[in-house]
Formats: sequence, structure tokens, C-alpha cells
Amino acid sequence: MQALAPAWRARHTVSRDEATFGYTLLLPAATLIFILVGVPFLRALWLSFHRKLLGSEDAPWIGLQNYATLLEDVVFWQAVKNTFVFTIGSIGTKLAIGLVIALILNEALPLRGLWRSIVMLPYAMPTLVSVLVWKWMYNDVAGVLDYLALQTKLADHPILWLGDPAVAMPAVIAVNVWRGFPFFVITILAGLQTVPQELYDAAKVDGAGVWPRFSQVTLPGILPVVAVTTLFSAILTFNDFSIIWILTQGGPGNATQVLSTLTYRISIPGLELGKGVAVSVLMLPIMVGLIVLLNRFISRREELA
Amino acid sequence: MSAQRIQHLGLRTFGWLLLAMVLVIALFPPYFMAITAFHPPSLSFSRTPTLFSTDLSLRAFSELFSKYPYLTWMSNTAMVSVASTIFSVTVATLAAYSLSRLRYPGRNALSSAVFFVYLFPSTLLFIPMFIVLNSLHMLDWLPALVAVYLTFSVPFSIWLLKAYFLTIPRELEDAALVDGATRWQSLIFIVMPLATPGIAVACIYSFTLAWNEYLYAFTLLSDQSRFTLATGLTKLIFGDVFLWGMIMAGGVLMSAPLLILYFVAQRYIVAGLSAGAVKG
Repeated sequence: MQALAPAWRARHTVSRDEATFGYTLLLPAATLIFILVGVPFLRALWLSFHRKLLGSEDAPWIGLQNYATLLEDVVFWQAVKNTFVFTIGSIGTKLAIGLVIALILNEALPLRGLWRSIVMLPYAMPTLVSVLVWKWMYNDVAGVLDYLALQTKLADHPILWLGDPAVAMPAVIAVNVWRGFPFFVITILAGLQTVPQELYDAAKVDGAGVWPRFSQVTLPGILPVVAVTTLFSAILTFNDFSIIWILTQGGPGNATQVLSTLTYRISIPGLELGKGVAVSVLMLPIMVGLIVLLNRFISRREELA
Repeated sequence: MSAQRIQHLGLRTFGWLLLAMVLVIALFPPYFMAITAFHPPSLSFSRTPTLFSTDLSLRAFSELFSKYPYLTWMSNTAMVSVASTIFSVTVATLAAYSLSRLRYPGRNALSSAVFFVYLFPSTLLFIPMFIVLNSLHMLDWLPALVAVYLTFSVPFSIWLLKAYFLTIPRELEDAALVDGATRWQSLIFIVMPLATPGIAVACIYSFTLAWNEYLYAFTLLSDQSRFTLATGLTKLIFGDVFLWGMIMAGGVLMSAPLLILYFVAQRYIVAGLSAGAVKG
């Protein structure tokens, strides 16, 4: 029957049908996301303008007061600074290690598959378990890292890994790096495989050495993958809660206090739910910026593909 | 030897050394966890750490089981992870197919929205979740935790599956439609079987995300018999005495299912990891 209808009409009905089908399939997911993310998000915004205490029913409107007190609070600004130090320190190190290890593992090495599996191990372990193991290794009584540092004479006195304000931040970054660098290795390795071999051959014929081959062939080839991976990791690191909370709870003092742990500390033990939410809301502009950037990178690559 | 060869040889040696170092660093924490878990718990109270020991024992495990409801935590975690995986992957498969294959107004905006929701911070959502579940008296109710976990596993699975659906040739479906199949039929009989590896990856990731989740479980559960492994194990370190033997034994058991899953499905997992970054 349809074949007899004019062509434009057939196309019209097909696309109507396609749109209905498309929306129908999307409906369950859209409903879930609206109820479980959209509504709580609006509720969070609402809360940030109210004085809502844990355990109390009423929540008077206080306008921007939650935000105003935060912006005058030195601890908040310290958490902002720490969040940036933690995020930039972590992703910088992960990127450097990930890039180098991916380049090495991309070479024809004996037992390469085994080395790759071992490198993936930190990623395969539950984050929480890794954090607990590191907490045990950092322990100040019979901690294995102190023991090794003293035995190998790298240190002449025990180091308070998580108790010394100057050491605590590098120590929590190390755990984030340990857990996250395999993600960089794997994605960069996959990116390296997409660089055409002919380009290397051509560069070799031209007599290009190791460095020019890397900087002019390899690097431009993997740059998109590196950008996407780095942004991804930056977003997740920026929000990381469990590593810092379990290792230091933001201490000593506020040496490792980041915005996510501050949100928790103000809202649950501190009982000020509205003010706690305001901390997270203040993180949003940066988060949104990173997500928009990442989304743009990914969709541009989709168009090219 | 030419200068270039020497340079090359030096670079190779340096590369091997670096790789060896990173491998040792990657292996040491899991090794140390296992050593602590499998030697007599009394040793973790000594002043010098045990780096190697042939004196193996399962005491830490038996103490863990007798002092804490560890197996309950494990079954809670397993139930929550399985339930949220089944829900999210089912819903996400339909949505991902729709977003990757069908044309309709608003599709790209919806696609971006999904991506946005996936990366949406749980630090912003846990407080309203806590307030709502508290007022509904649903704290400590595991089905509510399953629903909360859908906030990240649904968008994540949609995003991962979308990339996968794009790799399935459209012609196969068009052929089925021309032959008179309905859209549902072509989805279920043509596309789904081809998407099985992608769906498997989505399942593995949803399961892993739920198995590892800490912040929501930590804020929404307070009754010890409702704990997941993540919350139960961490409770052990906030006590007065640090029971490292038991904590590491618990860590070994919590890691085991994921490590097995990972070694069985390594190829798929790696494909999934790079799907986002490489395939887009």
C-alpha cells in the first residue's frame, strides 16, 4: 500500500513513525533521570537558599546568606585551592606516567600482554580497597612505607605520611595517581594504535630521529585521545570524595580539605544541609565548563568518524 | 655503532627500567594486602611490618566473619549491584538505541544531556537524596539505594552503549525493515544479538560502579545489617583499634569478584575503556 503512496508522503510517515518509536524507547530512561537527578538537583538549588538544619523541619529562606558566609570563610578558600592542587597534581602525574608507559607498552616487548595486565591491576581493584591498603601502608605504627624508607636510608626519621600537613597532600595525590594511571595507559595505547604506520615509515625514510618522530607523528596522532582522557579524569578527580575522606578526612588541619569533603563535613557532621549544598553548587560552574568542553571534543570526533 | 643506535639503546634500557619500576609499584599494594590478610593477625601489631612470610593462616578471615556480619554485607552489595545493573542496562539499551539510530527533533540535545548527567557530581545529589529518603523513612532500605545508583549507571550505560550501537552497520537493519519487520522486531532480533558484547561491557561497568560506590552508601545507610562492603569495611578503620589483618582480609574478599571478572573479560573491559576516548 505504502509503495503506491506519493514518495514524499511515505517518507513523512516513516519519519513520524521513527520519531514516535525514538521517544518511546527514550521514555523510561528519561523518566528515571528526571525523577532521580532532575528533581534532587532542583531541590539542592532550593536548599542552598534556605537555612536547613539536619533534623529540623522548617527551612527559612535566607537568600544568598549561605553563599555569603562561605565566600568569607578561609576554610572554603583553602578547600578551593586544595581541590585545584589535588586535581591538577593528580591528572598531571597520571598523564605523564600514562603517556610514558603507553609508549613503552606499544613497543614489541616480550610478554607484553602480561605487563599490560599488571599495569591494569590498580584499576581493577575496588577504589575503596586500594584506599584502605594505602592507608595501611601509610600507617605511622609499623607502616610499610616508613619501614622501607628507613631501611633504604631514603629517610632518617619516620615520616607522618598522613599526619604532616606538608606531606599529606602529595600522599593523597599518590593514591589517586596509583589508582587512575592505568586508565591513561589503556586509552593512550588504544590511541597509539590508530596512528598510521605509514607516517612512521615516511618519517624514518626522511631520517627523522626518535624525538622528531614522537613530536611530529605520534603526538599529533594521539592528542585527541589524550585531551578526552585528561578531561574525563579531571572531572572525576575534581569530585573525588572517598580517597581523601578515608585517608585524612580533610586533615591534618584542613591541609587536604577539598570541596567534596567540605560539603560532607558541613552538611552531615556539621548539620548545616543548606550551606553544605551551597559548596557543591559553587563547584558547578567549573564542572559544567569541563563537561561542555569534553562533550564538544567528543562530538567533534564523532562527526569526523 | 652510530650515535642514533646508541641513543636508541639507551632509550630502550631506560624504558625497561621505568616499566619495571611502575610494575613493582602497581603490584606492591595488592601483594601487601594479601600478605597482611593471610598471615596471623598478631603480626600486624608488631613494630616491623611483615613483607614476606610462610606462616600463612586464615585467622583474619575467621575473625572477620565471627565479629562482623561480613557475609551479609557481601550479599547486600551483590544484590544492590545486580539489581541496579539489570535495571540500568535494560533501560539504557533502549535509550541508547534510540539516541544512536533514530532521527527525531531534539536528539542531539538529549544526547548531550545524558552525558552531562553521567558526569553530574554525586556530592551535589547526596544531600537532597538524604533529605528525601529520610522524610520517606527509606534510609537503610536497599531498594532505595538501587534507585539512587541508577543516577550514575543509567547515563553511563546509555553513553557506552550509544558508542557501541554506532559500530553496528545500519544496512542490516534497513534490510530487515524492507523485508517487512517492525522496528521492535529489528531491534530485538537483529540489533540486540549484534550488540551483545557492548551490553556485556555495560553490565560489567554498571556492576563495578555499584560494587565500589561509597558516598551514597555511606550517607544513606546507618544500620550495620544493611551495609554494603564499602561502608562496612570503612567502618572498621574508624574504630578505636585498627584491625588491619581483618580489614585486609575483607579487602581481599571485596576485590576477588572484580578481579575474576576483570581477568575473564579483560578484552571487553579494555574495549569499553577506550570506547569513550577513542571511538567517541
